[in-house]
Amino acid sequence: MGIVSSLGIGVAENLDRLRNCKTGISPITFLPTTHKNEFVAGELKLPTSELEALCGKPGLNRTVLLSILAAREALKQAGTSAGARTGLISSTTVGGMTNSEMHYKAFMEGKKYPDFIEEHFSGKGTDHLADDLQISDFVTTLSTACSSAANAVMLGARLIKNGTLDRCVVGGSDALSVFTFNGFNTLMILDNAWCRPFDATRKGLNLGEGAAYLVLESEALHKKNGNRSLATLAGYSNANDAFHQTASSAEGMGAQLAMRKALQVAGLQTTQIDYINAHGTGTPNNDSSEAMAMQGVFGADVPLFSSTKAYTGHTLAAAASIEAVFSILSLNYDLMFPSLNHSSPMEDVVIKPVTTLTEKKLTHVMSNSFGFGGNFSSLIFSRN
Amino acid sequence: MEAYITASACISHYPTADENYFFEDAGRSLPSRFLSVTPADYKKYIPANALRRTSAILKMGISAGLMALERAGVKVPDAIVTGTAMGCFEDTDKFLRNIIEQEEKMLNPTPFIQSTHNTVAGQLALLTGCKGYNFTYVHQNLSFETALLDALTLLEENEATQVLVGAADELNPSLESLFDHAGHVRESMKAGKPVWEGDRGYVMGQGALGFLVSKKQTAESQIKVKAIKLVQKIEAGSEIQKMMDEFLTENQLSLNEIDVIVAGNSGDEKYDLRLNKFLNECRQPIAYFKNLCGEFFTAGGFGFWLGSEILRRQTIPTAAQKETTGRLTARNCIVINHYQDQHYSFILMSSD
Repeated sequence: MGIVSSLGIGVAENLDRLRNCKTGISPITFLPTTHKNEFVAGELKLPTSELEALCGKPGLNRTVLLSILAAREALKQAGTSAGARTGLISSTTVGGMTNSEMHYKAFMEGKKYPDFIEEHFSGKGTDHLADDLQISDFVTTLSTACSSAANAVMLGARLIKNGTLDRCVVGGSDALSVFTFNGFNTLMILDNAWCRPFDATRKGLNLGEGAAYLVLESEALHKKNGNRSLATLAGYSNANDAFHQTASSAEGMGAQLAMRKALQVAGLQTTQIDYINAHGTGTPNNDSSEAMAMQGVFGADVPLFSSTKAYTGHTLAAAASIEAVFSILSLNYDLMFPSLNHSSPMEDVVIKPVTTLTEKKLTHVMSNSFGFGGNFSSLIFSRN
Repeated sequence: MEAYITASACISHYPTADENYFFEDAGRSLPSRFLSVTPADYKKYIPANALRRTSAILKMGISAGLMALERAGVKVPDAIVTGTAMGCFEDTDKFLRNIIEQEEKMLNPTPFIQSTHNTVAGQLALLTGCKGYNFTYVHQNLSFETALLDALTLLEENEATQVLVGAADELNPSLESLFDHAGHVRESMKAGKPVWEGDRGYVMGQGALGFLVSKKQTAESQIKVKAIKLVQKIEAGSEIQKMMDEFLTENQLSLNEIDVIVAGNSGDEKYDLRLNKFLNECRQPIAYFKNLCGEFFTAGGFGFWLGSEILRRQTIPTAAQKETTGRLTARNCIVINHYQDQHYSFILMSSD
């Protein structure tokens, strides 16, 4: 697996910050918004030019560069597997927006501008990534808002299960953009201060950026190539709330459906889930609906849970793969990473998140991701 | 993996939303550099109070999806899978302009909310009450084809018995100037030339498609999707003939058993070379679908729809042909698509 987030570049840097309970959310340095001084964000403190140099790929947009760094790390760790039918399933919500928005003013005013339209489209970024990784057997791009990368993981698993592929690189990438920043700000779901998932005083989310990819392999290929395995993807599911374009229903029907189905796919009972890496954005609507949904599925025995978005901010399309990496780290190190900045429990529900770094033997970890368009996804990772 | 097309709906330049229409009045000349859409009866599908705020892609995409369901007599599908390469660009453009003009102040959130790529799929879920699987593919000109492949996979997994597959891409003044500026669009003087008469650039189109696919055959569903092949990367020297042979062999067919070819030439001669080399050797009737719908990233959905209609009606629209063929006795059809000689797709369908 590979990851880039505001916690750092690479799994090791991310794990170190997670263990030391050090958030990656900070005042904005690079995002060129006029609201720069009013908000904090999970921003990777490297300018795009340095990312270009790190990748050795000048001219690519920030979202693609983040994806290249993360996916290269994942493939390097996974090792080679000659002859395996290999796929790439990536996801993004902003695509080339960071680049397009730089030139849009000139375009609007009829001034000279460099062509940006082709690089704007989400699939183009995946083409660049596929070329970099030299993957061509199956390549696609998903965009289902903030559940995108979970759906990429799910699709990869299905294509391996039905024999289309032996191996698949899956995940997502999103850079911070002025476009999405203003979108969330206009929806009035951004907190000016550090976000507080599942806290009674929560006011909204902090945006973040990053990318993360996993390399999934079939059992047969895994036995053949003898590569080390980090975890098993035991369950996955996607469902729709069919309630509202941007908000979740009070009882989180879509989330409940997704969690139940993922458990069914994994063949697990609710009591077997040891820990949930929740979506937990820190908005009043999401956290309350998600807590209700967890209570709906798990009843009086909701597993220990937390949201790592207080570390990374909400990284949109990348969130689910970033949290998949964190869930696997939880399994590998028997650690639950806390919901930072938590001070007072929510009033409308009985459950509380994990608020300090906690060690516990973990066998099955669930990771949830929800998005606009009522899109809900749930993944379950298990110890080998 | 195969499935029946239980019902379909097409909104495009010509009045294809009308089930009785089949290009009777269409000429071989393309009418302009950018093709408009003949609107369907949108108010039938989109609540009147929302219609005014609804962008072109949402109007078309939602209506095509709901129309396909209506024709199939299905209220709630088990899953919804859509494809769009450019997403909701009208709303993206609107929100970007607001950000710039209003210096990031006092913005209206509606265009942002509706700019998300999965808005069509999300709205279809909301309007039908479908709580099932809901995916949106945004992979260039393979967006529709991958959505269709996913739908067939869901049916094969027994995760669904009927899946709504949608595709939509819109045109608007900003996109038109951006594509024009990038040098992809034909000059005005050459726009009318049919796609089989190659020139520089293509005529740009738009449209929306909806299909209900199912394992179960009904009285109305005679057309079966049999196989899909997606090609991400074209290497120097790759031949369509070779890709086609592989595809046909996988499906136990030979080229002479294919009765019709629905070809995705855009008319941009430099990029059509590879496909033309293959088509020139073919003896089957060829339907050039982009002569009817123009070039756009989900035009493959239109090609797929046209293929199914040709099999159903046993005739090819004159406007899609170099030379008119009469009534067909066609059973097998292959749709080949590409965008600028990249990302090829092959879809095999048959009438049972």
